[in-house]
Amino acid sequence: MAISRRSFVEMSALAGTTIALTACGGSKGSDKTSSADKSKSGSKKEAKVLKGGGSNIIYVITPSVSNPAFKAEADGATDEAKKMGYEVKANSHDDDANKQSELFDSAIADKAAAIICDNAGADATVEAVKKAAKAGIPTFLIDREITTTGDAIAQIIADNNQGASDVAQTFVDAMGEKGNYVELLGKESDTNAKVRSDAFRSVIDQYKDMKMLEQQTANWEQTQAYDKMETLIQTYGDKIQGVVSGNDTMLQGACAALEAHNMNVPVIGVDGSDEARDLIKQGKATATALQQFDVIARTAVQEADKYLKDGSTGEDEKQLIPCIVITKDNADKLNGFVYTE
Amino acid sequence: MAADTKKGSGGNNQLLMTLLKGRTLIVLAILFVFFSFAAPNFFNVDSLLSVAKHVALYGILAIGMTYVIITGGIDLSVGAVVGFCGMLAGGFLQEGLTLPMFGVTIYMSVPVVALVTLVIGVLLGVVNGLIITKLGVTPFIATLGTMYVWRGFANIRSNGATFNDIAGKAGLGNMGFSFFSSSVFGIIPMGVVILVIFAVIAGLVLNKTAFGWHVLAIGGNTNAARLSGIKVDKSLIIVYAISGLCSAMVGIITTSQLMAAHPATGNSWEMNAIAASVLGGTSMAGGVGTIIGTIEGAFVIGVINDGMTMMGVTEFWQQVIRGLVIIIAVVIDQVQRNIQARMALQARNESKNEEKAAATA
Repeated sequence: MAISRRSFVEMSALAGTTIALTACGGSKGSDKTSSADKSKSGSKKEAKVLKGGGSNIIYVITPSVSNPAFKAEADGATDEAKKMGYEVKANSHDDDANKQSELFDSAIADKAAAIICDNAGADATVEAVKKAAKAGIPTFLIDREITTTGDAIAQIIADNNQGASDVAQTFVDAMGEKGNYVELLGKESDTNAKVRSDAFRSVIDQYKDMKMLEQQTANWEQTQAYDKMETLIQTYGDKIQGVVSGNDTMLQGACAALEAHNMNVPVIGVDGSDEARDLIKQGKATATALQQFDVIARTAVQEADKYLKDGSTGEDEKQLIPCIVITKDNADKLNGFVYTE
Repeated sequence: MAADTKKGSGGNNQLLMTLLKGRTLIVLAILFVFFSFAAPNFFNVDSLLSVAKHVALYGILAIGMTYVIITGGIDLSVGAVVGFCGMLAGGFLQEGLTLPMFGVTIYMSVPVVALVTLVIGVLLGVVNGLIITKLGVTPFIATLGTMYVWRGFANIRSNGATFNDIAGKAGLGNMGFSFFSSSVFGIIPMGVVILVIFAVIAGLVLNKTAFGWHVLAIGGNTNAARLSGIKVDKSLIIVYAISGLCSAMVGIITTSQLMAAHPATGNSWEMNAIAASVLGGTSMAGGVGTIIGTIEGAFVIGVINDGMTMMGVTEFWQQVIRGLVIIIAVVIDQVQRNIQARMALQARNESKNEEKAAATA
């Protein structure tokens, strides 16, 4: 998940000074789930089945829902769980691992049946998940992974690699398979920044007439992307024939800078925000890859329900939900990170 | 007749005063009853212990903060000290302390790690105190500045990364950091035990020692305190050192609970500490405050936080309610002070009248 978290979190922090430094759960295991993996996991020793805390409550714990992506996630999980007859308590940890730990405590005290969590830090979440498991409560992680396996029942995340590759292909087509472009990178300490950039590279580098002029990091942020884009335009001017951006917030900044210089070139991003969708509709951006937060959250709830009833989700712990490429053709179907066919 | 009404109103005032003085406890009791009905699983031993465990963190911070606020100051850097000290403790455990000039890496045992971290916390507090007393920077600005500095150092320590391998290794003899998140008698969280120890010592020092009286006197009237021979600067430095110590302790506990040290830990916790102090009747103007009041205040915040979570109140409404509770608490505090002042005035007038009456007779 790579939407600039800072600006959103600020509003909701008590002091107004929270800086969300939490790295996204990386996609270290972003290799596609192969059938070979599946058969292997089937023969693995059966872990103890967690029965749930005893009540009919599902806790949904996400980063601040002032960010529309997390709102889509929280709403999706809440809606799905209510449909299945669960009581839902949704809360946000504001990317504070300690607050997340407190929310896990509350869930344990509340004898929750299951916890659906978009976590506040790949390392710091492990203890919380273990704590819940000890109390018999299964945790289903969404959107971000943690550093261990075998603690959470499922880790369901967007397939960043596939999403970035697919949207890069759209970019290559829009460029006519040739030309110079620049890349705006996400925060370098965040694994997703690398995963996405590598995926862009793996597709674009296959075309020998495509040339990258420069790569700049804008830390997922809109203003930084605007500033960096301006500098790049100063340096290269009309030589820039396309822009690849690691997320939609940076895409917005890049588009604004391009527009200020009366340039209109293909621009791509990743995330699938409504702002990017609008830019695509207006013809200012080319495409983005939608991370299906809603689908991810609903999948987690369905698996939680299945697990509580059958003692197994029937799936691997790590699951990748494919991204959808959003272009002018299907932009109308996207609203608030929900894609309706 | 006139005397009768006066006496009557005096009695009402006294009853009102008793209620006002015990208001934090009354609010706490009301909250308990309310959440016990509103959140079915709230009122049982496990839930209450988990509330206490959460309260322990900002309760300990609030103890140091109470000392600071009593002197008329503020310490905005406590959250950053939590983060920095947590990172130091985590770093000592995972990476050890490397001394490049000697080419060695020292791995300390857990008690030494804890001790060193606490000492560093004290030193960070001393730095705050020195900036405030020797350089004459107001506490708000001084600690706002150090807040950024400590937070920066917390990030610099690991370049923004998390120390997650802090369980220690048998070969290095530094296992057992989970002590600070263990339970005494299998149920009472260590944080709560530490909170109680800190609170008892802090309460005794504040009420029974000369240093405690100095702290109260400085907050009441700094110049008068200085003129009466109190070493104001020294006392203030000690007060900020106490706050640093409390923050370092919280850094250790929270790192142990999460079994990971993250540089952003403790962000904005200073606000919880200030809120707990104020809810407990500590006056931002200085000179007034009790440790027991602060602990009660911390529990009010903790009960509201966990109670609302278990009720299923959304985070945004929780913020609104938390803010309102703080404002209402301060308003009631002022009402109490006004009544107190009026009663004192009344008592003085009455004694004057009696003197007059005695003189004329």
